[in-house]
Amino acid sequence: MANIVFDNVQRVFHQGGGEFVALQDINLEVREREFVAIVGPSGCGKTTCMRMAAGLDHPTGGQVRVDGIVVTKPGPDRAVVFQQFALFPWKTVWDNIEFGLLSLGVDAAERKRRIEHYIALMGLNGYERAFPHQLSGGMQQRVAIARAYVLDPKVLLMDEPFGALDAQTRVVMQEELVRLARQHPRTVLFITHAVDEAVYLADRIVVMSRRPGTVREIIDVKTVREAASWDALPRIEDVMDLPTFVHLRTHVWKLLRDQQGGDVH
Amino acid sequence: MRVTTGSRNVFNTLGTVTAAIIVLLLVWHAATAGTGLVSPARFPAPLEVASALEQIAVEGYSNGRWHEHVLRSVLLVTMGFIFSSSIGVVLGLAMGASRKIEAFVNPIFLLLRPIPPLAWIPLAIVWLGLGDAAKIMVIFVAAFVPSVINSYTGVRQIEKPIFEAAAMLDVSGWRYWREVLIPGAMPSIFTGLRLSLQAAWTTLVAAELIGAIAGLGQILNQAAQDIFPAMIMVGMLSVALCGWLMTLALGWIEARATPWRAR
Amino acid sequence: MIEPRLKPGRFWLLTAAGMAALFGVWTIAALSGITSRTFLPTPWDVLMRLMQLSVQPFVGHVLHEHLLSSLQRFGLGFLLAVCVGIPLALLMAWFRWVDRLMSPLFETVRFIAPIAWVPFAALWFGTGIGGPVLIIFMGAFPPVLINTYRGAKHVDRKYIEAAQTLGAGSFRTMTQVLLPAAVPSIVAGLRISAGLGWQSLVGAELIVASSGVGYLMVKGQAAVSTATVMSGMIAIGAIGVLIDVSLRRAQQAIEARRGA
Repeated sequence: MANIVFDNVQRVFHQGGGEFVALQDINLEVREREFVAIVGPSGCGKTTCMRMAAGLDHPTGGQVRVDGIVVTKPGPDRAVVFQQFALFPWKTVWDNIEFGLLSLGVDAAERKRRIEHYIALMGLNGYERAFPHQLSGGMQQRVAIARAYVLDPKVLLMDEPFGALDAQTRVVMQEELVRLARQHPRTVLFITHAVDEAVYLADRIVVMSRRPGTVREIIDVKTVREAASWDALPRIEDVMDLPTFVHLRTHVWKLLRDQQGGDVH
Repeated sequence: MRVTTGSRNVFNTLGTVTAAIIVLLLVWHAATAGTGLVSPARFPAPLEVASALEQIAVEGYSNGRWHEHVLRSVLLVTMGFIFSSSIGVVLGLAMGASRKIEAFVNPIFLLLRPIPPLAWIPLAIVWLGLGDAAKIMVIFVAAFVPSVINSYTGVRQIEKPIFEAAAMLDVSGWRYWREVLIPGAMPSIFTGLRLSLQAAWTTLVAAELIGAIAGLGQILNQAAQDIFPAMIMVGMLSVALCGWLMTLALGWIEARATPWRAR
Repeated sequence: MIEPRLKPGRFWLLTAAGMAALFGVWTIAALSGITSRTFLPTPWDVLMRLMQLSVQPFVGHVLHEHLLSSLQRFGLGFLLAVCVGIPLALLMAWFRWVDRLMSPLFETVRFIAPIAWVPFAALWFGTGIGGPVLIIFMGAFPPVLINTYRGAKHVDRKYIEAAQTLGAGSFRTMTQVLLPAAVPSIVAGLRISAGLGWQSLVGAELIVASSGVGYLMVKGQAAVSTATVMSGMIAIGAIGVLIDVSLRRAQQAIEARRGA
């Protein structure tokens, strides 16, 4: 497991002759095995943060480091779960999950063992030979998550992974992800605009300001969660009923509202 | 693939194209005249081609100078093409507009279509000999089919609301054709014309290769017999050049004829 | 107005009338005695000649042997076009410098009609199989290259990014992402390619061959036997249709499997 460090990160985009600052003075650390969610208004640059950690984008100022090494290009040590799933439509579920393992040079027996493990874990039994277009959105995202987890990556990067799913499926996936995260803690950077989701899943929440995006506030959820024993309740709706949950959620909402208020459209 | 940053302008692209061509010429020269990797008997060096071009332009080769050959071929193709596609377009439009005409003409079409234009050359020679008449026949066949098919689809793909509007506005007869059918089918018609022109040009070169007195294809034929690789290359490049220019001209006409289209 | 569809009765009547008109006029012209029967045979004469060619050798071989010869050349040229075209297109789509280098070369060569390569083909290969194969290659190559290139270039970015985050290098990305994603485009290109290749074959065989259907037609023309020439034309047309239909079936099968 590794940590993610954003060290004085700045991202400036050049467009049509002019430039605009997307991200400014981003300093934050995702500690080992910590689940950090970034929330913020649209366009605040939260996805850009994730992409820089993934190596799909590069800061114009400062550095992003994973496990002490500066990120320059994408790789299986920083596995990504995309909002649009990005499963290869021409490969079966099994082959999709196997794809990254082949890059890592894992031998056949070990590959089989790992893939079978995650297929069982993500409830994909029986679908090994299916193609993505035959699966529902929720199932596809399970495959995408399995594909990332199976690599045993240093860090996991998730870009609004449940954004393309319908409300009911979303809830089910959140419960499953919580189960997964609590049983096998990994370093996770989770991007979302859904506050409920962030409060439910994360150890800490980073609230970003609107563009130019900076870190507005970092909220510790874990302490509250453990003190109030949220994980004792298996169902999400029960957790969301708890006063401690509501209090945190409202706090985050208020922070975001302040941002929206200043928006000029 | 890296994310590109920075602007691309015309000069940038033009620069790289020119650079690529220059590199190509250098490699060509090196491979042939420079190192002798490729024997001159098999593939000509750039300078040889240049001198062959000069020869044919100034003194002439195989019964004529370069521009005379070009003119002959281009004229033949243009005449055949215009003749053939005019009939083809009209027929195609008629077939598109009238189901009766379509039903009647279609079987004839289904039989003709699979036969490649070049396959008509022996037949044309049997019936019309080795002269220009045979060439015109073959060009006719080559240019005919794409024009008909594309004009037909051009009419068929006009959206229903346009027809309903025409009915409401009581457009009929000649006006119907001139202001609804033809403009609606124009883009398809021009696609057909482009294909017809390509087919006509290819077919003519082939026909001239087999037997002609003058023309670009004939240059190729003569140069092959004389084992004159540099002249063969001159012929090929001329074929490419004329083909390209004619396509350009057609595109220019298309732009004038369909000003309403977004490009 | 786009007229309503004809009733089946009407439709078949007109279709039959069209066929009748075509063959009727033809037969009448042939029988009228304007010219000799060898110069203008009746449709029936052509059919008879076609059958005759299937059993009686002409210029060395029976009809299906000629056809086999032609198909062999076509197959080789087409295969070559595919084996060179697809990898090259993938490289061009992925590596910008390859694109810059190859594109201008390709654009110039592309405008040279395949048939214009006959002189060089004759020079380099004589009447060997290399000549027609070269010309077929020149005809079949551009559509394969262009369609593969287009298909690969238009791959959704997310698949490429997913592959990169999963550790795929250039080779794996080209073969496991670009290539599969481009398959629908490639298959469409193959159909066009096959058509052009088959046409180019005919042209080539008219000049640089010693067997094959094109050669059969040339010899038929030399003997002023229209029926022979027409038999060749029918055979060429029929095989052309067969090739296209097979590829269309393959295209449909692939699309069904991918659930497009």
